[in-house]
Amino acid sequence: MDSERIPVITGLGAVTPLGTDAVSSWAGLIAGRDAEGPLTLFSTEGCRAHRAAMAALPPLPGRTAKELSRLGRASRLAIPAAREALAGAGLLDPAGRSRLPILSLALSTTGGGMGFGEEFLRALGRRRARLLGPAARYQPQQQVLDLQRELAVAGPSFLVANACASGANALGHAAALVRAGAAECVLAGGFEALSELIFTGFDCLQATTTERCRPFDLNRSGLLLGEGAAFFVVETEAHARRRGAAPLCRLTGYGHTTDLYHLTQPEPEGSALVEVMARAARQAGVSPAEIGYVNAHGTATPVNDGAEARAYVRFFGEALGGARISSTKAAIGHTLGAAGAIEACFTIQALRAQRLPVQLNLRDPIPEIAAALVRDPAPPRPFAHALSVNLGFGGSNAALLFSQP
Amino acid sequence: MKLDLAIVGQGAVTPAGVGAAAFAREPRAEAVPFVGQPEKSWPAFRVDPQAPALARWRGEPRLRRASPISFFLVEAAEQCLAGLSAEERRATGLVVAFSTGSLVYSRRFYAAVAREGRGAASPALFPETVFNSPVSHVAAALGLGGAAYALVGDETAWIAALKTAWLWLREKEVARVVVLGAEEFDPIVLDVYRAAGWLRRGSRFVPSEGAGGVLVRAAEADDANILTEGEDGFPYRSRREAEDAAQRALIGIEPAHVALPSARRNWLAPVEAAATASRPAADPGPYLGEAFAASAAWATLRALSQLDTHSKILQPVWGLNHQIGTLQFAKRRSS
Repeated sequence: MDSERIPVITGLGAVTPLGTDAVSSWAGLIAGRDAEGPLTLFSTEGCRAHRAAMAALPPLPGRTAKELSRLGRASRLAIPAAREALAGAGLLDPAGRSRLPILSLALSTTGGGMGFGEEFLRALGRRRARLLGPAARYQPQQQVLDLQRELAVAGPSFLVANACASGANALGHAAALVRAGAAECVLAGGFEALSELIFTGFDCLQATTTERCRPFDLNRSGLLLGEGAAFFVVETEAHARRRGAAPLCRLTGYGHTTDLYHLTQPEPEGSALVEVMARAARQAGVSPAEIGYVNAHGTATPVNDGAEARAYVRFFGEALGGARISSTKAAIGHTLGAAGAIEACFTIQALRAQRLPVQLNLRDPIPEIAAALVRDPAPPRPFAHALSVNLGFGGSNAALLFSQP
Repeated sequence: MKLDLAIVGQGAVTPAGVGAAAFAREPRAEAVPFVGQPEKSWPAFRVDPQAPALARWRGEPRLRRASPISFFLVEAAEQCLAGLSAEERRATGLVVAFSTGSLVYSRRFYAAVAREGRGAASPALFPETVFNSPVSHVAAALGLGGAAYALVGDETAWIAALKTAWLWLREKEVARVVVLGAEEFDPIVLDVYRAAGWLRRGSRFVPSEGAGGVLVRAAEADDANILTEGEDGFPYRSRREAEDAAQRALIGIEPAHVALPSARRNWLAPVEAAATASRPAADPGPYLGEAFAASAAWATLRALSQLDTHSKILQPVWGLNHQIGTLQFAKRRSS
């Protein structure tokens, strides 16, 4: 690959259940905090599970209550995270607008403005026609429009809804745009707000836990849902250099494929995940032994974590002993369409800080990867490369490889 | 964005018919009552689910519980892939553009929860409500081994889908990509469109459903039917902004380029008429109603069908609630 066109990350931002920005989210994570708590955004009466990881909405100064209600929860999570990423890259003006008026967007979600959709359905059920206005703001392109409006940007947009791998897909797409010369700079990210329909859906599948969320534990019993957003400025190394921006890391590898085994379950040996990790490593020119940390998908469902653990054994081989793996979903929950983005953010922070998020709530680890699960924030050796991997409904699998600049 | 894609396969499921019949005539509309006001109705174009070309997929295991949109998609995709071996299909990617996705099951799932409580939520329905479930079904049913993406947006998601295919081909991830647009109708959309102000008195807008698509690969020297450019990124939030966006979207495109009318009877039709008034027009064919990305795909198929008459065709893509974009097609790569 033309070294001038290697994608670099020059800014990142996040709103997570652990904090209203990337710095506080990382601080909470590395301190071993978790954000699990009672879900109070909507009633969970009739559900098995009643807990989730909710994010506090950062303030949006200068907005009236009416304007804020029009933005909806998903946009309220996305806009501050996007601004933080642009600010970190030196691309935000004092009024909170992008300094680049034309800016490509590569975004992800699964629920979009689902809260508006639910409001609409409730109003429709009560035959309250005058309350139907929010319906128009349900579709995810409305959150794209909100971002474009708030950041004062125009330009191409890409919005992927590939279930839980979507956030990684958005970042991978941004990298491909940059490599192809189709864009010099892309704002990439994912956002997801907790919603009644999705919470009820996972609950009826009995995928949510009523206990602690225990990724990669033999006694894991299900996932914890969460919400949040994470954004990145992805640009060519040359573009960053020209404007004097310092890269936080390089996005050196991306692999994605579809597991055709089952709509909601991975193939038990994790073959698709092995393939995407191998592709990402091949694109980066990195061997498994050089990868020091993996931010795993680790939903804590019985089926996912078993297949994922087998995939790590197969991908790393003898190098598994030198790798460290953890799922951060025990701390922030499963943020679905934002998961790939938020977890990429944590992966980059781990790479930069040379500190690792410990595997929370671990009692009896899956034996095959027990030695690799993170128990100590200090890595066993310095590392220059880190992976973030995601799997999703529909067989979406994706891996992102980040390298030190 | 410059693209260089050869279109080597096509497929369509419309309310007028399937395959060659898809563009033969204007479908007959049926009057559908509003959910919130059943005493009133609005015309809609519906795909006949009993059509043999769709019914033949009922035995496919992955489609056992699937929503109508999966049937539209799998049939359109199979038309695109006709003649390809299993090995060639394994080297094929899939990108699908939606606006509302699996709406029928989403509404049904939520209605059951509202009626009977959360404890009665259906674990069979919920996975089918996820945007990329129909995409996964199509990939599994047809043995497509490349990546599979679900993209969301208004009509312009069709442009994003074609650009995504170009990136995958450029990076040599796959040998070819099936790109589809799809939408399914549920009566609830009438209430949504009315809330959005699209069904005012005098409007001739007809909600529709179906799928359309193309099979693309990297263009070679002697290929015909080339997609040469695709641009989105002209967002708007009011009619006035839409007029400005339309002007900006068309800047720099040769005035002699034949334009395919595609806004037809939606609220952007006057904007389109003003923006393309000075250009010769291609034949848009029979009106098939509004089905967002599916409509954009159908317009592309109409454009391709006229490349023998016009060597270059401009397809403006009028996104109804986000942005405006353009696609450009040429008969030959060098033209």
